Amino acid sequence: MENPQGLLKETWHFYKKTLMLVFRGSKIYYAWCISLLAMIIVGFIFYWKQHEMGLIETNLTDQVSWGLYIANFTYLVGMAAAAVLLVIPSYIYQFKPIKEIVVLGELFAASSIIMAILFVMVDLGRLDRVWHMIPFVGSMNFPASLLAWDVLVLNGYLLLNLFIPIYLLVKFYYRKEPNWKFILPFILLSIPWAVGIHTVTAFLYNGLAARPFWNASILAPRFLASAFCSGPAIIIIIFQIIRKVSSITLEDKALFKIAELIAYSMFLNLFLLGAEIFKEYYSGTVHMASFKYLFEGLHEHTALVPWIWTAMAMNVTAFFLFLIPSTRKRLSTLNLGCLFVIVGVWIEKGPGFVIPGFVPDPLGEIHEYVPNLLELMVSFGIWATGLLIFTLLMKVAIPIETGEFSHTEYEKEGYTVKRH
Amino acid sequence: MHRWGMVIDLDRCSGCQACMAACHAENNIAIIGPEESAMGRTIHWIELLPFIEGEYPHIKARLLPRPCMHCEHPACIKVCPVGATYANEEGIVGIVYSRCIGCRYCTTACPYTVRSFNWYKPQWPKEMEGSLNRDVSIRGKGVVEKCSFCHHRLLKARERAKAEKRELLSEDYIPACVQACPSNAMYFGDLNDPFSTVSILSRERRAFKLLEDLGTEPKVIYLSEGM
Repeated sequence: MENPQGLLKETWHFYKKTLMLVFRGSKIYYAWCISLLAMIIVGFIFYWKQHEMGLIETNLTDQVSWGLYIANFTYLVGMAAAAVLLVIPSYIYQFKPIKEIVVLGELFAASSIIMAILFVMVDLGRLDRVWHMIPFVGSMNFPASLLAWDVLVLNGYLLLNLFIPIYLLVKFYYRKEPNWKFILPFILLSIPWAVGIHTVTAFLYNGLAARPFWNASILAPRFLASAFCSGPAIIIIIFQIIRKVSSITLEDKALFKIAELIAYSMFLNLFLLGAEIFKEYYSGTVHMASFKYLFEGLHEHTALVPWIWTAMAMNVTAFFLFLIPSTRKRLSTLNLGCLFVIVGVWIEKGPGFVIPGFVPDPLGEIHEYVPNLLELMVSFGIWATGLLIFTLLMKVAIPIETGEFSHTEYEKEGYTVKRH
Repeated sequence: MHRWGMVIDLDRCSGCQACMAACHAENNIAIIGPEESAMGRTIHWIELLPFIEGEYPHIKARLLPRPCMHCEHPACIKVCPVGATYANEEGIVGIVYSRCIGCRYCTTACPYTVRSFNWYKPQWPKEMEGSLNRDVSIRGKGVVEKCSFCHHRLLKARERAKAEKRELLSEDYIPACVQACPSNAMYFGDLNDPFSTVSILSRERRAFKLLEDLGTEPKVIYLSEGM
């Protein structure tokens, strides 16, 4: 189609334009990126201290050996899985407003997975041996270990969520209709895969007979329900930001549709939680200790009690905000609801889920855990890494989507073709 | 084939902690100071767990020596993502320290909390460094460790038996804690041999295993205390 020189020129054009897009932006864009970079650097400095001295630098103990890192990991896997909520309506029911934003949703899932993987990596005692867990390079304890499963499904999901949007964006770049017969199977595969990553992550905790708080079959459904609340909530917020700072147009209709989906998921989430609480409290076995620690405090140890009740209040409020059409369709209350869901679910399935698994420990010892500064800083650093990756991806993906950034052939023509 | 097991008679145990001291010396367990210990970072391969029986005024303070249970169905082995934990053919559950990535999934899965994580680089006073046991490898920062039933002693005993051109006898091999117990509260031997002391004791009416309902099938059997 082209001579080698033309191809070289075209490649150069692509990279030059990409760099220009990434490095040029408004003052707010610069401020945003620089503050994220600063957080990443601070996080890295703190992590380096932990890497050199060992995990003694954290507040983790023999009794509570997973903490803030693993809590964030669990939450972020849910975030990533939630991208599927956008895929189902957009590709299967051809719901147009969501279809325009699905590529962005998938890139968001990819960024979440990267954060989730980073959170596991900083939790390891020996990061230098992480290659034992790389498929085909190391030798994993597959299929016995659920952590090995998690490595496989998370990496698979990451590849899938990079491949699909990149394929679509490349097609948009060349102004060609995507070959749906080729890409649709991948898109369809990503739906069960999203359910899979979160199920596997739930099973990772679920299979431990030593930890009755996690050893409940309701865990995987609860995980999915709460993920389908928090993921879409953050996507609603992000899409409003994107709408404001770029030329992409997103109809309110799409946001309201997503909010409606959150209402259903939140109902399921609260229902499943209620079912579990009923079973624990009514049967009143010794396995109730962790629940008691979480909701009431155990033997005057009450570190998590204010947190979980805050989460409960936020989740219930958000449920009503999303349920009632008038509050759902007003941006101010919609955003408030989203904020409640993001924070509420984070507490519920982050620290509110991981820590009570360890309190009391199998011997009945009660050791409370509150993360220290280092853990907070490393966590902020990882969140900043994910947000920066997502920002830069958006900076390139959005112009391709809108047709501002495409093959030279079309750029010269100076007109934009509307897709769809 | 041997199937190594231990019996701990709680009626005989005086709670003197000689087993702990012997274990620490034998297995090069790091010296953990009071500060780290208070923060909840200790390492013990065998530990005396305190527990209270009954209610006041009919109350008894008890101590329970707890090594690794070397379960027949261990929760720790299947969860390890890199296969760093294994059970050998004689039922001893071991860790390949050089493979461990320090994810602490096994410490979370073990119902007996026998596994310790190295939160920092282990240290010994300078005077002690020369007296470490050369048969036991030193664990570095960031890996998990636990009781091995003094597996190195089994290897040595087997070598000796081979040199003497005879079969390995149960008496050839005894872990440091059992050897150190001054009140003969601990027994060690082959559970596959129906006439060994441990086998006979394991069939006693007083015999019980910890958290039996979890289906782990521990190879450490306790004999309950008289009231």
